[in-house]
Amino acid sequence: MSEIGNLSVALAALVSAYGLVAALLGAGLGRADLQHSARNATYALFLLLTVASAVLLWQLLARDFGNAYVASYTSRDLGFWYTVSAWWAGQAGSLLFWAWLLAGFGALVVWRQSAYRELMPYVVATVMGTSSFFTLLLALVSSPFARLPFPPADGQGLNPLLQNPGMFFHPPTQYLGYVGFTIPFAFAVAAMATKRLDDEWIRATRRWTLASWFFLSLGILFGMQWAYVELGWGGYWAWDPVENASLMPWLTGTAFLHSVMIQEKRDMLKVWNLVLIILTFGLSIFGTFLTRSGVLSSVHSFALSSLGPLFFAFIALVLIVSFTLLAVRLPWLKSEGDLDSLVSREASFLFNNLILVGAAFSVFLGTIFPLVSEAVRGVKISVGAPFFNQVNIPIGLALLLVMGLCPLLAWRKASAANLSRNFLAPGALGLLTAFLLRVRGVGQPVAVAAFALCAFVTATILLDFHRGAMVRRSHGEPYPVALGRLVLRNRRRYGGYIVHLGVILLFAGMAGGAFRTEREAVLRQGQTVAINQYTLRYEGLSQYPTPGALVTAATLTVFNGDEPVGVLNPQRNIHRGHEEQPMTEVAIRSTLLEDLYVILAGIGEDGSANFRVIVNPLMMWMWIGGALLSLGTLVAFWPERREALRARARYLLVGAEA
Amino acid sequence: MSRARKKFALAIAIFVLGAGYLAFTGARGSMAYYLTVGELLDRGAALRGASVRLNGRVLPGVAWDQVSGRLAFTITDGTRQIPVAYRGVVPDTFKPGAEVVLEGTYDGATFTAIRLFAKCPSKFEAKPGGV
Repeated sequence: MSEIGNLSVALAALVSAYGLVAALLGAGLGRADLQHSARNATYALFLLLTVASAVLLWQLLARDFGNAYVASYTSRDLGFWYTVSAWWAGQAGSLLFWAWLLAGFGALVVWRQSAYRELMPYVVATVMGTSSFFTLLLALVSSPFARLPFPPADGQGLNPLLQNPGMFFHPPTQYLGYVGFTIPFAFAVAAMATKRLDDEWIRATRRWTLASWFFLSLGILFGMQWAYVELGWGGYWAWDPVENASLMPWLTGTAFLHSVMIQEKRDMLKVWNLVLIILTFGLSIFGTFLTRSGVLSSVHSFALSSLGPLFFAFIALVLIVSFTLLAVRLPWLKSEGDLDSLVSREASFLFNNLILVGAAFSVFLGTIFPLVSEAVRGVKISVGAPFFNQVNIPIGLALLLVMGLCPLLAWRKASAANLSRNFLAPGALGLLTAFLLRVRGVGQPVAVAAFALCAFVTATILLDFHRGAMVRRSHGEPYPVALGRLVLRNRRRYGGYIVHLGVILLFAGMAGGAFRTEREAVLRQGQTVAINQYTLRYEGLSQYPTPGALVTAATLTVFNGDEPVGVLNPQRNIHRGHEEQPMTEVAIRSTLLEDLYVILAGIGEDGSANFRVIVNPLMMWMWIGGALLSLGTLVAFWPERREALRARARYLLVGAEA
Repeated sequence: MSRARKKFALAIAIFVLGAGYLAFTGARGSMAYYLTVGELLDRGAALRGASVRLNGRVLPGVAWDQVSGRLAFTITDGTRQIPVAYRGVVPDTFKPGAEVVLEGTYDGATFTAIRLFAKCPSKFEAKPGGV
């Protein structure tokens, strides 16, 4: 079986290289047959990588421990779904997963969007170039089909930390996002290569961008959820390099998603949009690399990881080629529109971009700070969470403010009437919120500002929904129908608003973190610990085996005031095959107001236990915000048939003129 | 350059300066030397009391009082070693052989850690036979 896998991967690398050359030659020489052959190569590539993936999955499920990868990440007692997740749990498998997704996306583009005839050879070339890199890695450096000379009787098993639903979903969604941004990038390269530099490439990839952004958002949220319930330190974000790596392309991708609207509407920011998509793609590759190797955690591992130099070479190549192409095309990228006023929608979009890119840059700087300081001063100096928080909290607040202003400012120049109509009432509500919170004795100025801004932005959005619905109602539709049709007839706009509402909830959840409280207590049986209005009584320990682990669970009765509200069972589990690494399983009691989060930090010989108890306010709203964000993206993504037809007609028209 | 553009350039400049100021003060507040075991031992005297992030691998032989949360162990860069004292929550990824990053201070004999981050090699990578 492994031979089939190896053969498929080797052929995939050859097909990728062939597709790259054929597409470029086909475009350069104007040979339709070569272009056609390159397009077909994407199908062949997808087929080959599907075969390779199927072989790997088969070996994982059949527990073929002769395969080193299978032996490293599975064991006989691992359940079906976690066995499947081993596909992306390790380095070689996840690279195969990456390449397979890319081939799938490439085939999908060739199949569905071949009407973009002139762009297509370069789109195919970009996809194949990227695929060449990944398939070469798979074939030569990091193969998922390496054989062991002596197959072990059982595998090492999947790390218990990864045996969590969040870790089942987090890597695939994250990768769908990373890989997805290849397609808009490929169209951008094609637009530059063919000088078709109007907004055609942006319209062609609007939904690719949206989908990639969506999966990246979802990937980050699943990752946060996993960190929160599985890593057991009571938080969801630690500014770890790996986390930063997922955040950076999200920030630039979000900026791109917004600034392309300015190009579509006002024919501005053409160069900027190209820069953003190039950066987003580069950061996606960088992110893949960081998550795969975890390099920045240690001081000297850049040299230690065999993948490091290759990834850096590839990223450098991508950046050099793209920016050279961009520089050559600068004369064709003159903006038609101009900025008329600082108080206009264009300007607010620009600020939104500035803020997002500024945030991305600060995260980037903080992440690679040790490397920079070593290069400049000869000593490695790193910055910690306070750096990231100090920079990004004000940036986040500014972003929230712009999110409220931007969608409702008039194009070109906002009049005083426009401002007062849209912002007077929400502004007053925001100030009122701040005032009430201060009066109630809430002392954290940053959190107060965040909540006030959340109220302001929510009000602007709901006001706009309401106005739109009222207009429709005046034409005789009942209010709820009017509201529903308003959203369905303007999916991009109102889908975007729903996403914004989700983001507001995320911000509110993060602001809640300012009021987190924490207690640590060593308890004997019957003793209690109090935190806020809660009292927890330690009832005792129990021990029982499960198929994969030996569970030690503490039982705590939770009182809210004097009223018993439930029982919590934080655990420390010893997983078979990972005896030296006991796993803490936290217990969480979630309400809409706050999470009560209990960690069993240690167990004494005499049955006493060490607990860490945390109250995290408003955590639930982060996950609700994530759900709302998904819903909004879905609304904005849902195809509008009329728009698709229009875009196609435009394309054919432009093609006929050329 | 139109008036709006000038104003916009000014606004950008203010934003960039503000962000730069925040970044500068933030960096100054949380900067710490990021060293390996050998580098710390070489500079030992000069860094006494300074805030340091120390990177190394945990050696077998970990003394852990689960009730008090006190942890004593030794980390190495492969050739040299430093004993570490820590008190607090121990992450699940901490075990002999794991790569750790510690935040704390060095008094010339023991490294007193106030934060402990552990990255188990097998989290991302297969681990062929421990250390």
